[in-house]
Amino acid sequence: MEILTGNELLSGAAVYLDADGNWVAEIDRARLFAKDEAEARDAAIAASKATGRIVGVEIETVKMVDGRVVADRIRERIRAEGPTAPAFPRQELGEDGHVSI
Amino acid sequence: MYRYDEFDAAFVRERTAQFSDQVNRRLTGELNEDQFRPLRLMNGLYLQLHAYMLRVAVPYGTLSGRQMRKLAHIARTYDRGYGHFTTRQNIQFNWPRLKDVPEILAELASVEMHAIQTSGNCIRNVTTDQFAGAAADEIIDPRPVAEIIRQWSSLHPEFSYLPRKFKIAITGAPADRAAIRFHDIGLQAATNAAGDVGWEVWVGGGLGRTPMIGKMINGFVPNEHLLAYLESILRVYNRYGRRDNKYKARIKILVHEEGLETIKAQVEAEFSEVRGGVLTLPQEELDRIGSYFAPPSFEDLPATPIDIARETILDPAYGRWLDNNIFSHYRPGYASVTISLKPIGGAPGDATDAQMEAVADLAERYSFDELRVSHEQNLVLPHVRVADLRAVYDGLVEAGLAEGNAGLITDMIACPGLDFCALANARSIPIAQAISHKFAAPERQAEIGDLKIKISGCINACGHHHVGHIGILGVEKKGTELYQITLGGDGTEHASVGKILGPGFVADAVPDAIERLVDVYLGRRETPDEPFIATVRRLGDAPFKEALYGTT
Repeated sequence: MEILTGNELLSGAAVYLDADGNWVAEIDRARLFAKDEAEARDAAIAASKATGRIVGVEIETVKMVDGRVVADRIRERIRAEGPTAPAFPRQELGEDGHVSI
Repeated sequence: MYRYDEFDAAFVRERTAQFSDQVNRRLTGELNEDQFRPLRLMNGLYLQLHAYMLRVAVPYGTLSGRQMRKLAHIARTYDRGYGHFTTRQNIQFNWPRLKDVPEILAELASVEMHAIQTSGNCIRNVTTDQFAGAAADEIIDPRPVAEIIRQWSSLHPEFSYLPRKFKIAITGAPADRAAIRFHDIGLQAATNAAGDVGWEVWVGGGLGRTPMIGKMINGFVPNEHLLAYLESILRVYNRYGRRDNKYKARIKILVHEEGLETIKAQVEAEFSEVRGGVLTLPQEELDRIGSYFAPPSFEDLPATPIDIARETILDPAYGRWLDNNIFSHYRPGYASVTISLKPIGGAPGDATDAQMEAVADLAERYSFDELRVSHEQNLVLPHVRVADLRAVYDGLVEAGLAEGNAGLITDMIACPGLDFCALANARSIPIAQAISHKFAAPERQAEIGDLKIKISGCINACGHHHVGHIGILGVEKKGTELYQITLGGDGTEHASVGKILGPGFVADAVPDAIERLVDVYLGRRETPDEPFIATVRRLGDAPFKEALYGTT
């Protein structure tokens, strides 16, 4: 399965596209695209780019593990959780950081 | 210290205003990311895994207390209360928000600092010996020349779009503490038969995916012609450096592929054209800039011996600090102090806002308001009276900065790695922390002595792993972080590139692997005074390989 991720322009925070077309902070809320949904996925990428507010939109592959979305790449797991050492909370989206397509 | 003239102040002010406008245009959508990205990078603003990262230049690693206070203020006001000092003697802030960056740049400009040329294919911040202007073994203070190179290379129109980034390091001492042989150009002070001081010029060194030791292209370039010579090298590189392949675009590849003699001939031909022209440094200008770096008003003091054995009995932690963190000063009665940013289990190079302020206080009170950042991610108070060492130490204890481990196994370099960096393949900081805990016992560190471990989270080698006595390179293999261990690297005048010992280890196994290497050294060294690197050179890789992988 695939998700879409990027960084929100103002805060730089890692964000994920949810099923309602909102870019949100939590990977667990990410819309899961099945293999046969490439068209919908690509349309979402184009719409996201058009907002000019999501930087570096990428497709990432994920698995569901115990009801949670877990990225295949370590890099993406760290992006989703925040730095491990020193452990810091992730960058917060500001009030002006909510982007929808 | 150098003070901006009206030209410096104007260009930093103009650039800040320009970038402020560019950010506004990005926020209103007038600029898209493809248009904005090169503009933000030209001002040191990267987008990393979790947030933007702003890299601020610390020219040749030299700071005043006022500048350090400003960095503390920025950390507290716009970031998360800390900064990360880097192997390029710079500082990085990991959490700024885009709209705050113009304000941060304006704050920096108010203390004569900026983030220009901390990214991009241009000449980057010049780095030097952290003990420049203080070291007992120095032929000449390299900072005036470093400043001249800074002025020449800042916004140099011809060299704004080089094939790739370009790094220059300079040292005025025979003992190379600036890793000059691993830079695009390395400069080492030299004296000719007439007793004049000039520069030995090394070219084509570097780390990254193709580590190379620089080659000497000229054994003596007179000081007044140095800029002309540097410009000649840059011009040859700019013309012939490869632009077709990012991985082959550094000058080290050009020198390697074309051969030193070919490049030297090109450089000399160019040099004969420009030598004696506008780039000749007039003596009055050398004197003017040199005056900014005049020695501070040292007192005439008698040589003051430090009785480390006695102090160690009275206070072992202070004794250790004196033993490891003090460096010989050229003035009797003075010493340079290394402030370790490597507390046991800490993130190498990180300092909080309160720590930065404490260090600024100490610099103002005890070190003629001078501070340095070392490429080994520590800070330095260059000019401290020996009589003040205890007071400085007590101040550092209060700030949580009194680890007496400079040069020891826990004084590691580590890049930010996959915890922060968008380029990394594996984490670096937790590996450093685990090794630091493993060797935390001071007695064990003292027994091992000088040992440089350097850790990079990817092949770009920001953590200088190739030149670690023990180097650790993080890679990703099938979704797991693995760590390759190299042995025998050396960034000094005895330059060598470490060799990979064998297959990588998972993170949990790295501290034990390092311990096995250390145990071979302790068991096989000829005397307790033979340092780790000397034992490695004497024995070769074999016993160390065997300790890691068994007999093959």
